[in-house]
Amino acid sequence: MEGLIKLWGDTGLANFVPGQIVMMLVGALLLYLAISRGYEPLLLLPIGFGCVLANIPAAGFTDEGGLLWYVYHVGIETGIFPLLIFMGVGAMTDFGALIANPKMLFLGASAQFGIFATLFGAIALNLVPGFEFSLADASAIAIIGGADGPTAIFLASRLAPDLLGAIAVAAYSYMALVPIIQPPIMKALTTPAQRKIVMEQLRPVSKKEKVIFPLAVLFLTILFLPAATPLVGMFCLGNLMRECGAVDRLSNTAQNELINIVTIFLGLAVGSKLSAEKFLTVETIGILVLGAVAFSIGTASGVMMAKLMGKFSKTPINPLLGAAGVSAVPMAARVVNKVGLEANPHNFLLMHAMGPNVAGVLGSAVAAGILLALVG
Amino acid sequence: MDISEALATAANIMLLGMVCVFVFLGMLVLALKVLEKVAGGEVVPAVGVVPTKSNIQVDANVTAAITAAVHKFRQTKSND
Repeated sequence: MEGLIKLWGDTGLANFVPGQIVMMLVGALLLYLAISRGYEPLLLLPIGFGCVLANIPAAGFTDEGGLLWYVYHVGIETGIFPLLIFMGVGAMTDFGALIANPKMLFLGASAQFGIFATLFGAIALNLVPGFEFSLADASAIAIIGGADGPTAIFLASRLAPDLLGAIAVAAYSYMALVPIIQPPIMKALTTPAQRKIVMEQLRPVSKKEKVIFPLAVLFLTILFLPAATPLVGMFCLGNLMRECGAVDRLSNTAQNELINIVTIFLGLAVGSKLSAEKFLTVETIGILVLGAVAFSIGTASGVMMAKLMGKFSKTPINPLLGAAGVSAVPMAARVVNKVGLEANPHNFLLMHAMGPNVAGVLGSAVAAGILLALVG
Repeated sequence: MDISEALATAANIMLLGMVCVFVFLGMLVLALKVLEKVAGGEVVPAVGVVPTKSNIQVDANVTAAITAAVHKFRQTKSND
């Protein structure tokens, strides 16, 4: 009988606490969104599964010495996983559209206003009872507005490790929701005539320019913003491997096998942070709301900047391009293309939108570096 | 930290952050313009029309040289 009681004491049924059941349902929801809806499945699936694993009672996945504890400790606490992902993203990114039209960098810059406005908003939320965000917390939350998963995880692991789970889930959820969040904002801020504007064809870009570009970006970062060099440096390394043509094998590994392996563990490690006591708090709701606000402000300020630039530019600029200034590559550029095509079925904006889109990646990495330098 | 003080700091970071992002990416715009001047002249092979054009140019030069040579040859011949 004693043995039976002991065995019962070791079952999941005897050990479940309500919070764990709720979190398992959250994990199941993430799995559903990934599998049935196709929302960022590459990340939401491992995150959802990690969430389920982390909430198994008495299994000890996230206790010191457990699998998820090690994965988190090795990959995220050290900041290595997001940086490896950034190298892979660099190896996948073609900067041709941006090099051909460098002005688009300003769109990528203005969309970062979402980040800094949300930083202010997160601090203001402290006026509401129940919220207590420090400046570091607020910075980590605000980076969700950069719409760049690895950057958000990197900054959160540096500034607010306790909020990492909620921040990563919010960042990836909103990136998956780009096609739903952005179009209403884009349409509200532009007239049909503005959406119909046809852009000039981009000039061809030489290989030499593409090879020198990552080196030039790195050089500027070294000189002016060393705090951003972990992110920008790995990004430039990946991009140089892609463009130089001498190390195709390394480039292929960085943009396929390596990024896939790291993605699995990154997702699991983020999921491991979705434990009931950390996630089921009023702060999580605040983070989700602030994330949506950050994203919307980023989109809006990008569109407004594109309108402003269009007034002064010699060549016409379609204001929709501004929305691609939040990173979320290539989803945001595709959304711009789609909304542009709705207004004018012959106007393909995809290549033009890739310029501000990759500028947004650089912009959010720079913003993360600035936040690290000022707050970290 | 007092809430109003924290808000002031946040506003400060907002201003400073946006200025920094713009200045940094603005410098990158300038760097790209310079890059275009330095390395942008190179012709992309994918265009396809350009090599034909240059072939024609080379052909024209060669033709001119041959024509000149033949002309001179004939002149010297007729002088004999």
